[in-house]
Amino acid sequence: MMSFEEIEHTADRAFRVTGHDMADLLENAAHAMQALDGPRPPGEPSATREIEVEGVDCESLLVNWLNEVLYLEQAHQLVCEQFHIDELKNHRLRARVETRECDRSYTHIKAVTFHNLKIRETSEGLEAEVVLDV
Amino acid sequence: MFSIPAGAAMLSKKHIERVAEHVWEIPKTFRDDMRVPARLYADEDLLDAALLDNSIVQLVNAATLPGVIKHAIAMPDIHQGYGFPIGGVVATRLPEGVISPGGVGYDINCGVRLLVSQVSVEEIRPYLEDIASRLYANCPSGVGSHGHLRLSNTELERVLHEGSCWMLDKGYASPEDLDRTEEFGRIPAADAAFVSDRARERGRNQLGTLGAGNHFIEVDRVAEVYDQATAARLGIYSGNVAVQIHCGSRGLGHQICEDYVSRFQKTARDYGIELPDRELVCAPFVSKEGQEYFHAMACAANFAFANRQLLAHMIRQSFHDVLGNKIKHFELCQVYDITHNMAKIEEHEVGDRSMRVCVHRKGATRAFGPGSSVLPDDLRDLGQPVLIPGSMGTASYVLMGTREAMQQTFGSTCHGAGRVMSRAKAKKMVRGTELREQLRSRGILICAGSMSGLAEEAPAAYKDVSRVVEVVHKLGIGRKIARLEPLAVIKG
Repeated sequence: MMSFEEIEHTADRAFRVTGHDMADLLENAAHAMQALDGPRPPGEPSATREIEVEGVDCESLLVNWLNEVLYLEQAHQLVCEQFHIDELKNHRLRARVETRECDRSYTHIKAVTFHNLKIRETSEGLEAEVVLDV
Repeated sequence: MFSIPAGAAMLSKKHIERVAEHVWEIPKTFRDDMRVPARLYADEDLLDAALLDNSIVQLVNAATLPGVIKHAIAMPDIHQGYGFPIGGVVATRLPEGVISPGGVGYDINCGVRLLVSQVSVEEIRPYLEDIASRLYANCPSGVGSHGHLRLSNTELERVLHEGSCWMLDKGYASPEDLDRTEEFGRIPAADAAFVSDRARERGRNQLGTLGAGNHFIEVDRVAEVYDQATAARLGIYSGNVAVQIHCGSRGLGHQICEDYVSRFQKTARDYGIELPDRELVCAPFVSKEGQEYFHAMACAANFAFANRQLLAHMIRQSFHDVLGNKIKHFELCQVYDITHNMAKIEEHEVGDRSMRVCVHRKGATRAFGPGSSVLPDDLRDLGQPVLIPGSMGTASYVLMGTREAMQQTFGSTCHGAGRVMSRAKAKKMVRGTELREQLRSRGILICAGSMSGLAEEAPAAYKDVSRVVEVVHKLGIGRKIARLEPLAVIKG
């Protein structure tokens, strides 16, 4: 089963994402955001970045994590490809992201929003709907 | 505390009352958390279109902000956004009212600038392809594009504080350009001490760039003039060439909004503010946090004014490059520059008294009427020019602000056509290359970096801008002056 699907949104972009736990949800959400954003030039990862993100609750951790990935892509002209959440505790995470440098940024997304964001428990784990401003 | 009240998503036409022609209201009794009624300005078809997505629920949500007065208002180009609907106007009473970063949006001071020449389209038609190519080459567009200026830390700080005034110092603007810019191209409240390093980093190389999405530069023909006397005062004559610029504060503005929406998740809780949507997070305007956001937002606004000013300079340079030794009188004079994603402190008559308010306009345009003290001397008797871009390949309009807008909508009117179709659906229905050829067969040149981006902006994805403008004209919250038709469109 796909861990995410795009949801119709009139002006922006939105997706529904699932995960068997919070770390899985975070990793899948980063992949979902990349998939909706469009293709990147092909290539192999050249560096691993360690990043730390925190939030005031699970939802803000999710938004801040995705915005961190966007920041790396936009400000540092990187393509981020593989996401590993190594530590997750008290709305704080430590992760590794496989990256490679590009000639420019390829992301169309302005920001990840909090619009109607609620992480719900389901019979299979967790689910959230995320709206991206494009 | 961020729970959605029961019935939030259950809004239908039966909950909406018609209070006058083209004026619809969702009464305060619809939901317990509404502090004021919500008002939509639309004809019945545009109302039906708004009911197809969550835009009216978002309008109801905006009616819950602490300090909101009169009505939460939506324009006929309303469509679903995040937090506020696009096309939303919400005023909060000061000092107790709030300011909401999400109520302004990520592209702070996204706006439109209109330049006009005194040369006819027929005179430049042989050079139109060259002009379009030169504009595309000179004005960086598309995601990840960098501008021609490399700003030092000190220079960037001056842009944030001085906006278009810095451009004047550097020779990229004329005093007349500043006169014809909302806020004269500079919001004095700007204080870069409240702008993060990340925001500076994202904005540093982006001054003078268009970006992607719905942003564009468009060469137009003045197709019709509805009020010749007013149009002549603005330098607008039928058959002449005009140029529009639509863009905003780029990564710098996006990061400032993101910084404060994230931070205000806690701030709103600290002030005990309960909201139906976390994207609406806010702080009392007079609070430390509210003031810090306002100072940072003003920096992004100044960056956006400077951005459109630099693009205007490069457009003038492009015209000169192509037409310089070929024809005369092609100089481009600025009609006006408007902003449509901002929070501003303004005085408005509410009931029988004057009130200081924080007006959030998200996808809505200030439309001040004749006599306003904030207008330049030569426009004060006319009112403020309002620029309404259509969707790609369709008409755009020049309106004037009105006294009616001051009374009804906190001096605000619509900002564009408004989407009706998702980007994903538009891409499934329309091929960018085919759309480009269709537009070319209608005499409209398209220069675009991304064909899928072009498909997302297909005219079929938008409402009919003429209909939106007709509604605001009939309501008297904007007065039609002229219609522009596209000749060439530059997109990212």
